[in-house]
Amino acid sequence: MFRVPFLVAIALAIAFGGGIWSTRLALDATIGFGAIKLGSWEAFPEAQTADADPYAKSHRANAGKLLYATAEGLSFTATTDDSGARLSGSCTYQLTGQTPTARFWTLFATGPDGRPPAADADLPSSLNSRMVGRQPDGSLDITIASRARPGNWLASPQQGQFRLTLTLLDTPAAGSSGLIDLSMPAIRRIGCGNV
Amino acid sequence: MSRLFSFLSLRRDFLWLKILFAIFTGLVGAALLHLIIVFSLPQFSQRDAYTRIIAEGESHRFYRLGEQPDRAGLSKEDPMIEMSVCSFDISETPVRLTAPNSGVPFWSLGVFDASSDEIFSINDRTSADHVLDVVVGTPAQLAALRKSLPRGFSQTVLVEAQQTEGYAVLRSFVTHKSVVPVISKFLDQATCAPFQWRTRVQF
Repeated sequence: MFRVPFLVAIALAIAFGGGIWSTRLALDATIGFGAIKLGSWEAFPEAQTADADPYAKSHRANAGKLLYATAEGLSFTATTDDSGARLSGSCTYQLTGQTPTARFWTLFATGPDGRPPAADADLPSSLNSRMVGRQPDGSLDITIASRARPGNWLASPQQGQFRLTLTLLDTPAAGSSGLIDLSMPAIRRIGCGNV
Repeated sequence: MSRLFSFLSLRRDFLWLKILFAIFTGLVGAALLHLIIVFSLPQFSQRDAYTRIIAEGESHRFYRLGEQPDRAGLSKEDPMIEMSVCSFDISETPVRLTAPNSGVPFWSLGVFDASSDEIFSINDRTSADHVLDVVVGTPAQLAALRKSLPRGFSQTVLVEAQQTEGYAVLRSFVTHKSVVPVISKFLDQATCAPFQWRTRVQF
């Protein structure tokens, strides 16, 4: 007797529940297609243009972030190290290598809340290309740890997973879409705990 | 025997088949809804960048963004990059974006339309004399402007926009704490005003 309403209810529950759940999941998980991936770094050079795919447009409309335009820069993010393990505040990492050609770059770590560190923080929670010492060949060697380190030290959050953001300012990489051979610094885990 | 009989009776009214069909219908509906939301979200979103910049206050002026999200929900997204935003409407007159060159290490400007698509971007190296001087207008406005270009506009970059509403984002890079006053002055002196060029070309 109640079979037909029951079947309709199943169909509607799956349609609305599944549709909304999958959309939320898709918009949270990805900024769209068209990423350039270099090691564990990821950037979306076309996310702010009219050529962006529907997922990218939907994501940026929902997130409401102010994206870098082509002549401004390109922002790379990394949530894992080179072995694919999530970046953790209790571990120490070494960032080595070259960035793509850019006039300046900035590097900072965001904690689980997603907020960038304060500019006047007591610890060096953000670095830029002007304040970092280089190797003799001009390459980078930055230690990322929550405790103080000699040399170039980027302070990471004490606990929990974090995300690295490396923003290149005025870079030809922003217009490349992967055509230029780019290389990003490697992120290697040195150890965890008190090492 | 009775089990077999009940199984046959179940098959006779196809209940399981109907439930399967309902689940399948639900999944198709879910996929459709997913696509509808993804494609229509940019049209009705109240959280997109343009809506937030409109919520900052009146248009045609730059607003500095702080480290904490303001009431419009906007904040600096890089601790070393200072930002200002300005919304504009060029349906009546073009908008002119200017800032004096006061020796900041780096600035960049991105101009976007109301759907947050990039129209134009420039930085200090790609501009003339490292000075920000950009006029954004509709193709008709800019054609009229080019016809009688007022004095002092030889360095101005003219940008055509197809939509009449949009916003501009001005960024400057803080290489060191010591340049913060220069950058603050640069961003505070930046203008985003409607451009009344007809009154200026009168003889």
